[in-house]
Amino acid sequence: MKKSVLFAFALLLAALGIISCGKDGNGDTPGPDAAVDRKALLTQWADSLVKPGYQRFNDKLAVLKAKTTAFTAAPTPATLVDARQAWQAAYVEWQKVELFEFGPAEQVSLRNHFNIYPADAAGINRNITAGTYDFELATAIPQQGFPALDYLLNGVAAGDAAIAQQYASSANHRRYLTDVVAKMDQTFGTVYSQWNGSYRDTFVGNTGTDASSSLSRVINAYSLYFERYLRAGKVGIPAGTMTGTPRPEKIEAYYLKGALPLQLATTAHATVQQFFNGRPGRPSLKSYLDALGAKDSRTNQPLTGIINAQFGVSAQQLSSLGPDLYATMTARNADAVASYNEMQKAVRLIKVDMTSALGITVTYVDNDGD
Amino acid sequence: MGQGLRRYLQGYTAAAPLATFRVAIGLLVLASVVRFWAKGWIAELYLKPKFFFSYYGFEWVRPLGPYTYALFLFCGLCALLVALGYWYRSAAAGLFLSFTYIELMDKSTYLNHYYFVSLVGLLLVVLPAGRYFALDTWRHPARWRSEVPRWTVDALRLLMGIVYCYAGLAKLNSDWLVHAMPLRIWLPAKNDLSFIGPLLGQVWVAYAFSWFGAFYDLTVPFFLLNRRTRPWAYLTVVVFHVLTAVLFPIGMFPYVMMVAALIFFPAEWHERVLQRLRRLLRLSPASHQAPRPLVYGRATRQLLLIGLGAIFVVQLLLPFRYLLYPRELFWTEEGYRFSWRVMLMEKMGQVQFKVVDGATGRARLVNNYEHLSVLQEKMMSTQPDMLVQFAHYLRDYYARRGVRNPKVYADAYVSLNGRLGKSFIDPTVDLARVTDDWRPKPWILPFDDEITGL
Repeated sequence: MKKSVLFAFALLLAALGIISCGKDGNGDTPGPDAAVDRKALLTQWADSLVKPGYQRFNDKLAVLKAKTTAFTAAPTPATLVDARQAWQAAYVEWQKVELFEFGPAEQVSLRNHFNIYPADAAGINRNITAGTYDFELATAIPQQGFPALDYLLNGVAAGDAAIAQQYASSANHRRYLTDVVAKMDQTFGTVYSQWNGSYRDTFVGNTGTDASSSLSRVINAYSLYFERYLRAGKVGIPAGTMTGTPRPEKIEAYYLKGALPLQLATTAHATVQQFFNGRPGRPSLKSYLDALGAKDSRTNQPLTGIINAQFGVSAQQLSSLGPDLYATMTARNADAVASYNEMQKAVRLIKVDMTSALGITVTYVDNDGD
Repeated sequence: MGQGLRRYLQGYTAAAPLATFRVAIGLLVLASVVRFWAKGWIAELYLKPKFFFSYYGFEWVRPLGPYTYALFLFCGLCALLVALGYWYRSAAAGLFLSFTYIELMDKSTYLNHYYFVSLVGLLLVVLPAGRYFALDTWRHPARWRSEVPRWTVDALRLLMGIVYCYAGLAKLNSDWLVHAMPLRIWLPAKNDLSFIGPLLGQVWVAYAFSWFGAFYDLTVPFFLLNRRTRPWAYLTVVVFHVLTAVLFPIGMFPYVMMVAALIFFPAEWHERVLQRLRRLLRLSPASHQAPRPLVYGRATRQLLLIGLGAIFVVQLLLPFRYLLYPRELFWTEEGYRFSWRVMLMEKMGQVQFKVVDGATGRARLVNNYEHLSVLQEKMMSTQPDMLVQFAHYLRDYYARRGVRNPKVYADAYVSLNGRLGKSFIDPTVDLARVTDDWRPKPWILPFDDEITGL
């Protein structure tokens, strides 16, 4: 009996040899695994994406603070326009960092303090009248951040003169505007200083693939952002895909309207694409997946090519929703729904195919392989 | 029945192996319960979710709200009593029932090794493991037995053998052997480990692991049975399971198997372990009473043998029930659970449910995360029976909220072992009207590929 087992084993080994040789012949093996290096990838993300991105956003936030301070010091249509421009510039820059909701940003729920819309205008007005408010309360989430500023700078009255007049005549309005910006400055400040402090090394050093690893957290944050805050938040919900009725008043930057809402969405989409592809010759999700040899085993097409093709279609459909996203939501609702659907296809490639190929764990619970 | 079998059934062996097995498994289950509790999983998995995926025929088994903690406490207590051999039979029954109840509360926590523990629990209820090195025999010396029928120890060995062999058989398929899937995905994800890390990125290593894994599972019970190969076989058991513990998030499974495999060691070895334990615990050395065998009454013995026979016939057949279904097992998962299919698939999915008002035709999309935990959503998105269960929950949920005659459609997308994801179930089928039973599910879309093998 022992002999036959030995024979079977030898047979297995021989077959193994034949198969692995055959595979080599087909060019089926992934490239040299030098690039399957999570530490290099995390370092690239920390030093070349997150930290510089936060720095650029920090600059824009400083300008926003200066301009809103100037406006509350002397509320005129001219200072209002300055403040609004600073708000727009910071809002666009925010789109390039909102997806980094892991680590310090996740800890302070940065997004909750910066960009949950539609703004709760009634709540904001109540706060202004009351003069007391706590931005840490769950109910206060849509009463702060960029959406609140949207209302405060564009929606409290009709026309720049009337808005400026509102601030000139109401100390409570001036104070609320100041406090909203101060809260953003303070919340972001803690995140920014942690990245410039010890968190960067913590992040880069956590090279595993379990649920608490940096890679797993980044991928979770990335796909969650794409699915929930870009696909659903910016397009799906206002287009009514969730409820069956278009709700254009739920778009981002609703009180300003015009070109900005679409600009925010396309900036966010481009950020998602750039995060995936990185810079040529530098570590990125794309280079990592290519190094893993990730491909559709039915067709042998590389996964990164499939993802980028869908990103392209999705970006194009999204950019066709201009010039005024608010008007498009009702006038050309089918286009908005189509944009949502194309994004959904990309979300699946990211959430299912990419996550699967990366071999990362998404839950903390024991698992014996599905 | 043949002469040989009759003689075998009349053979006797020392009771020590049953005693050490009882102690070890009791302590391991106790440790599992403590670990589960300490990680906060009771609340996360059984208190927080609003909906639970029950098993077919066990819909009445649900979490008990805050009393779920009491259930775990009871289970842990029974495990401790089993280890001590105190009120052994009742404790074993309590362990089996409470542990199984816990496992039946929600399908999304299904793990093969939980199923294994349940089966071991069932065997412990009927096997005479509380007659030696047990508090019961200290309180009631008349119950003490130093020898038990051979088949009582062999029943545990047979269970172990079935687990390993069926796990090995399940690996004999083209994805595992020819494409080294899913290890080819999982191993490079661990390339930051010291020493072996750099190797894990190599494709040949994935092939070597796949082939060795299949060979190991298929043969290790036989090597463990053989006296000469046993020490080496057990060494590979330790190495293999330590490796899987390092590489994969499979919790207690490696330790359960490492400890359970000790049952293959001869009675003298177990006796030595118990001697050492006695000295450690400052108990009186093994009683110098004359050996006393456990002799069952005729009817009891008959009943036990028939019961064990039935258990093992089911065990041998159940994993093959998938043959009754027409399509690819890994894709449809019809007959997948309770079959020792461990670490076989890298399967992921995403599903978007749509609820349509039957009267107005108004459609809305569902945010799964508003109803399900991360684990539940992950498990549901690749398993058709769970998709139906959730669809029924949505039907009732929206009916309560005023949607008339709700129709529920699912747009599901699933990727399996490195194949690009594709549509998983027919998005035009109203899942609210589909029943979840044991018949094949025709609304699962074709796999469009082939995995050959068992």
